[in-house]
Amino acid sequence: MEMVSKSRKMVHYILLTIFSIIMVFPLVWMFLSALKTPEEIFAVPLDWLPSNPQWGNFAGALELAPFGLYIFNSTFTAIVIVFFQIILSSMIAYALTQMTFKGKSILFNSILITYMLPAAATYVPSYVIVAKLGLLDTLTGIIISNIASVFTIFLMRQAFMQVPKEMIEAARSEGANDFAILRKVMMPMCKSSIFTVGLISFVQMYNNYLWPSLIVNSQENYLITVGLNRFFTTSGTFADQWPLIMAASVLAVLPLLILFILLQKWFIKGISDSGVKG
Amino acid sequence: MNRFGNVGKLLFFVGIPMIPLVVFWFVPMAVSVWLSFTNWDYISPTFDYVGIENYTNALTSADFYSALKNTIFFGFWTILPTIFFGLLLALLLRKGLKGLTGFKAFLFAPWITPMVAMSIVWSWIYEPDVGLLNQVLGWFNLPQPSWLTDSEMAMWAIIIVTVWKNAGWAMLFYADALSKIPDELYEVGNIEGAGWLQRMTTIVIPLVSPTTLFLVIISAIDSIQAYDQIQVMTQGGPAGSTRTLLYLYYQMAFEQFNMGQATALATLIVILTGALALIMFYGSKRWVHY
Repeated sequence: MEMVSKSRKMVHYILLTIFSIIMVFPLVWMFLSALKTPEEIFAVPLDWLPSNPQWGNFAGALELAPFGLYIFNSTFTAIVIVFFQIILSSMIAYALTQMTFKGKSILFNSILITYMLPAAATYVPSYVIVAKLGLLDTLTGIIISNIASVFTIFLMRQAFMQVPKEMIEAARSEGANDFAILRKVMMPMCKSSIFTVGLISFVQMYNNYLWPSLIVNSQENYLITVGLNRFFTTSGTFADQWPLIMAASVLAVLPLLILFILLQKWFIKGISDSGVKG
Repeated sequence: MNRFGNVGKLLFFVGIPMIPLVVFWFVPMAVSVWLSFTNWDYISPTFDYVGIENYTNALTSADFYSALKNTIFFGFWTILPTIFFGLLLALLLRKGLKGLTGFKAFLFAPWITPMVAMSIVWSWIYEPDVGLLNQVLGWFNLPQPSWLTDSEMAMWAIIIVTVWKNAGWAMLFYADALSKIPDELYEVGNIEGAGWLQRMTTIVIPLVSPTTLFLVIISAIDSIQAYDQIQVMTQGGPAGSTRTLLYLYYQMAFEQFNMGQATALATLIVILTGALALIMFYGSKRWVHY
């Protein structure tokens, strides 16, 4: 590797620091704004730091809308969805990698095409289907309609293809059937892939907005994205509500930020490894 | 294993996971196309077949073309900077620097956050008189537009948020691709005295071109589906300047309940996405080096 001179290194550090600050600053600004008084938040020129952090803003936001419940709804539905996605995707990925049957390539190609299509194109009929199932305005409706994930099928198939053939054959010669091979060989061998797929899917489900906003109507079923936006639209007209809106946004983002801080290496490794390389 | 056993196994391993896939993907896709030939309005139980009227209506309406123009504009100006900054950031993350994981985490952090929450935060940053952005622009005596209410600027405001959120994601893929370029290739460039720019255009850019293709296709599909930031920040306005095809579809379907028109538009969006993916995939043979 070429020698990177000290001054070149310095330039890299400075630029990386500037870009990092730009990327993180909206998040920092959200936190700072959440702790300000209405006077401070509207100060021209800027008041960078709240002179007396208004921790009460969080309580104030929670009084106006049940954000705790919204976050619970989002977390709960996302976990249940990811659980089913992993189970179902591992089954079909097992069939796609370990079994031979007629129409296998048609099946895989139709899954691949679905991966490319805009999901929104299915929303009108899917909405009618959820309505016919009697699941409008329920968390079950959101869960059921999201458990089919082409993304997880795709990545699980890729992970399963990496499992050495010898291991599967060894298990088979010891009399293991397909269920046992899936549970005792494939799943444990692909633990880390399954974990990262689940993690990414969890974030996507927690952040999902358009489809859930169509399904749920009553406040007790709001996901955090839906509840937060309703709070923003209803209080946006009153200017002095901005600190409370920022406090509510902090509450919405916080669970994911904590997850990210704890598991950042999994995210970073997972995203680039999952790459369907051109 | 007997034949019945095999069929049973297939029914289990393929059949069960296929149920939600068929019910919420394959059937809706087909039904959506079928509905696009009707005038169903969601409320009434009956509807008539109207042939291709929904399509001719869409293709002759000014709304459609202005939304198409907005979609292309939004797509182009989000994909280009996302790719550019993604590669630039990945190039800055050179081997041998300290704290690389920390920098990566900071640069990638926006991707993790909910678009709805961040659009609200950015709405605050974009506030014309008291918002952070315009106050900062004021220090440098730059123009301070009213970002979200000016039809010239609103689309740019949405583009900035989208690029901010996705650049770190593109960076991860480029960082991975760059780490696979053999060191010898860099060295060859050095011995021959090739400058930085020359090394970029002759070694780095061709070698990461498969990643670029992948990112362009995925970002293009993503940009067609952008919704959250538009809904939160502008609701398609002002004066329809941020109304993309997908947003127009949403308004037709779930605000006006004009399901025939909406599903026709959905079909057009699907065709557009498919055509775009195909063109990029085959067109790429000229510039992608595997």
